[in-house]
Amino acid sequence: MSIDWITVGAQIVNFLVLIWLLKKFLYRPILDGIDAREAEISERMGEAAAVRTSAEVKEAEYKAQIAELSASRAEMLENARRKADAERDALLAETRTRLEKEQAEREARRAEEARAFTEELHQNGAQALLDLTRKALADLADETLEQRIALHAAGQLKDMADNLRDAAGDSCDATVLTRDPLPEDVQDRLRDELAAILPDFRLRFDTDAGLSPGLNLRLGGAQVGWTTDSYLSGLDAVLEDRVGRPIRKGLTDAA
Amino acid sequence: MQLTPDDSILFTLLGLPVNATIFNTWIIMAVLAGVAALITRNLRPDVPPNRWRTALEVTVNGIVSQIAEITGRHDPRVLYFSGTLFLFIVTANLLTVVPGFDTPTASLSTTVALALSVLIAVPMFGIGSRGIMGYLKTYIEPSIIMLPFNIISEFSRGISLAIRLYGNIMSGAVIAAILLGVAPFFFPVVMNMLGLLTGVIQAYIFAILATVYISSATAVQPASDTSETTKETP
Repeated sequence: MSIDWITVGAQIVNFLVLIWLLKKFLYRPILDGIDAREAEISERMGEAAAVRTSAEVKEAEYKAQIAELSASRAEMLENARRKADAERDALLAETRTRLEKEQAEREARRAEEARAFTEELHQNGAQALLDLTRKALADLADETLEQRIALHAAGQLKDMADNLRDAAGDSCDATVLTRDPLPEDVQDRLRDELAAILPDFRLRFDTDAGLSPGLNLRLGGAQVGWTTDSYLSGLDAVLEDRVGRPIRKGLTDAA
Repeated sequence: MQLTPDDSILFTLLGLPVNATIFNTWIIMAVLAGVAALITRNLRPDVPPNRWRTALEVTVNGIVSQIAEITGRHDPRVLYFSGTLFLFIVTANLLTVVPGFDTPTASLSTTVALALSVLIAVPMFGIGSRGIMGYLKTYIEPSIIMLPFNIISEFSRGISLAIRLYGNIMSGAVIAAILLGVAPFFFPVVMNMLGLLTGVIQAYIFAILATVYISSATAVQPASDTSETTKETP
């Protein structure tokens, strides 16, 4: 057991070198790393605390909003219900108006169809009635309807002389209007009868395809007629009795 | 039987003989510095530490906490000194299990060198902490009569440190060698295991005592309590 003082000195130097080496490669890096990590952890904890504080503030805000929404929920529901009711009423009114309009249009269309049908029925009936009358007169009396009407009118002129003269006034023109031209003998008869009661009048014969079968006599501004219109109106009355309502509007009685 | 590796001259360097004690000390230094440099390279705070770095951190933190318990404060200079003492001695003692490796701590020259380092470091720490007059004043406290006793106490600390470590490690190595000759199969293994335990304990004791001495020299003592706090070990 001896001490080698050279070795002692060398070991002291070695120990000092080892202190320097471990300080450089062990203590400083490890302690600095721990300090840096602690600083980073502290920073992250600070950030987490800030985030937590922010989250708590947000939570309080949301809770307040939820409470506010809960408080106004009933009012919002009432408003929504009222709005829905108003919208429903508006839709119902609109639908009702549209249905009424459609119904009115249907009724108008149906009335128009009925009017057209009855008009056609009237015309066809009147035409059939006239045809039958003409056929009966032709077959049984060997006369036409217009000729028979003209002769009948000629027979009545004498009784109407005073009225005709008053109606004619200052005029001296008389016109006989028929749908079809009258035979010459009938025209002569009418001319003779009128000349007998109104000698100053000039008689003229004319035709109008739009007229009803019969005869119209114009004296100045007055007019007297013997036509089948009144009989056709009688046909309308019969049809109305059957149908139960007016057949056509605007149909006028024979003059 | 060779009791100390000082006698084993390996080669000469610049005219000076390099024995096994010095060479093996270099090996230990290389191992410690190399492992530390390898593990602590490219340290970044945002990267989680791996298991090696964690082991080093646990070791360094353990040393720091032990020193803080004794001194009551964190002083990096004490860490560098006492931590290096502990790491060097424990590494040297653990390497006794390597066949053919003569641990430097089994050399009285090494333990004397370490004790001298402590002997020099204690006044340096004391002067650094209290100033030279403040430190020298501690030698005449509580009375100037205590001056020779305090000086003897100062030197006896170093001697006891050196002899304790040397005796424990050398005796363990010698006993293991003797038992290897007597009963080569069982007892050497048991003795080596005990040697590892003893080596770690001796490293701990050496470093702790050095720290205690430094702490006593640097602590500001109350006027009513001038006695030094020392730990006596078997």
